[in-house]
Amino acid sequence: MLAARSLVLHLLYFLYLIYLISSIGMIQVIREKHDTPENVARRLSLAGGVNRYGEPNYRVVWGWNRLGWIGGKFEDRDAAGNLLREVVELRWEPKYPQVNRWHVERWVPPEAYGSPATWYSQTIERAGGKSVAALGPYPDRGEYEHCFTLQGPRGEFLQLTPTIVAYVAHAIEWSRGQGSAKQRAGLYEREEREDRAYEQWAYDLMDDSVPAMHGLPFVTVK
Amino acid sequence: MPAQANANVIALQLEKVRDKVPLLYERDDILLTMIQQRGDIERVSSRNMRLPLQVNPGGKAGSYNADGGDLGRGSGTQYDVAQVSPIFFRFAIEITKLVEYATNGKERSVENAAKREVANGMRQFRAFLDKLMQTAGNGVLGTISSVSGNTFTMTIPYGAALVYPGQTIQIYDTTLTTNRNIAASVVTTVQTADPITTQQITVDNVPSGTVATDVIVHDGLSGAQPVSLFGIKYHQNNATTGTWLNLNRANYPVLLQTPRVNAGNAALTPAAVRLAINKVRKALGINHLAKLIAYMAVEQEHAWENLGITVSQIIKEGGSGGGNDLDLLFTGRKTMSGIPIKSSVNADQTRVDFLDLSHWGRAVLKDIDFYEVNGNTVFPIYGASGGIAASYIFYFDTAFQVWSDSPRSGAYIDTLARPTGY
Repeated sequence: MLAARSLVLHLLYFLYLIYLISSIGMIQVIREKHDTPENVARRLSLAGGVNRYGEPNYRVVWGWNRLGWIGGKFEDRDAAGNLLREVVELRWEPKYPQVNRWHVERWVPPEAYGSPATWYSQTIERAGGKSVAALGPYPDRGEYEHCFTLQGPRGEFLQLTPTIVAYVAHAIEWSRGQGSAKQRAGLYEREEREDRAYEQWAYDLMDDSVPAMHGLPFVTVK
Repeated sequence: MPAQANANVIALQLEKVRDKVPLLYERDDILLTMIQQRGDIERVSSRNMRLPLQVNPGGKAGSYNADGGDLGRGSGTQYDVAQVSPIFFRFAIEITKLVEYATNGKERSVENAAKREVANGMRQFRAFLDKLMQTAGNGVLGTISSVSGNTFTMTIPYGAALVYPGQTIQIYDTTLTTNRNIAASVVTTVQTADPITTQQITVDNVPSGTVATDVIVHDGLSGAQPVSLFGIKYHQNNATTGTWLNLNRANYPVLLQTPRVNAGNAALTPAAVRLAINKVRKALGINHLAKLIAYMAVEQEHAWENLGITVSQIIKEGGSGGGNDLDLLFTGRKTMSGIPIKSSVNADQTRVDFLDLSHWGRAVLKDIDFYEVNGNTVFPIYGASGGIAASYIFYFDTAFQVWSDSPRSGAYIDTLARPTGY
């Protein structure tokens, strides 16, 4: 009876030790993660439709949640920018620089990336005697690409709402419906508009530098 | 009392607007003026400025034997000095006597004419300098692909994008050794330029010996291998030979190399963009993208739009009106894989540059102003006879150079195809 109790205690102690060791050895990277609200995903799916796999054409992801493959020679540096080590490997890292923002993505079919052979010929990097696919494996089910970062005009955080994302999806779809020639004309018109805006601004600035009524005498009418 | 000369009236009007000239110049809507004037470089002479660069970290790391072992020697941070030589640029504006006649010489009319010329001149001067910002530091504004009479068809890039009608240009041979205009004693002025469709320019005089593969440089350069503004292609370059800001690239082949993605004449794809961006992240740190901008020609912005994954610019016109708060989202927020886009009609049509402008600066030797001699800013023109000509001239001038202290902090995609329709 005593031997059995001792055996159980030893077993429990052993399990506790395993728990402690595993807790110490596990490094948990704390990131602010958010899942896309169900109602937003549904609204986007309705607005943008679904792809050939039945997945939504549009989706919204939180920056920290969206990881992608980055392969090649990494130069790890300390906070001061000093080189610590160089290592050739494939890493799973945040895909977009704005990690604390919501991003709208659109599904792009695999054929948009060319054939697998083309993909690897363009993305294989050789360093340190190793070959690494700089963008990871070929996206044979397509890939979601960045459309839009949800933020204010000055880059400030903007909360995700179904209305906003549906508007963005509609805007992109509307843009896709425009002919290439019209898009091109729109870009050149914008450049001309900006040029005219500078001209008008410059004239206004010049006008500010002269006295009222251009210095001409005037009388007060009583 | 002598009658007031028109030049005096013009000079008076120019003085009234003189303090506005820097404002007109510095508006940060073009790449050149988005690069900030920086004071953190040392002026060592009237022409040279020094830019200290930390090229290698110091210190020797390693383990050692505590039982009487030798800890070894150390090392310090290795520095080198890049040198920047500002270039003087001028923009000359002439007003003819006709202005006075056409305006009856009234002060207000002359004032308007002067203001108009200052505003127009500054717009053109900024455009000229912005065009130089696209180049490789040798003043080359384009390459001739064929000559037919007085018409040059220009090679893409840049096509005919970097010249403007009325501009005085010079033609060099392809090795930048022989200045054909000086050899033939002729001045060449651009008459027309079509940078969108035909990429042709017409000129008034073609110096003898001009052939296809010759290059066009801007006025004011002379001698072999001329040096001009160090533009994007000078700093964003993956060469390992030659010099960069007086440093031998061969001495720092990794540090001075900008990551490059060769598109191989294919169209722009999201994969190429990610490859370029990831090269920066791998070299400088995964989170090192906060200050990047994607700088490109309108053609490549159009190519990006053609992929159908971004919001077209014309959404603003096609949208439901300016009163909607959601329209704010579209104000200047177009991005390329999350990197803000800045496009220009002057940029290389086959290239996308990812620039970290926090590493770029302008070393300014002389701020923008009217050129002045003994307090005079307006000068008479003399005719061929030695008599007075019926016009007056004034100049903007400035002296500066553009530098970058970290060519590795950017990346570029080149040899991109242009979308159809160009």
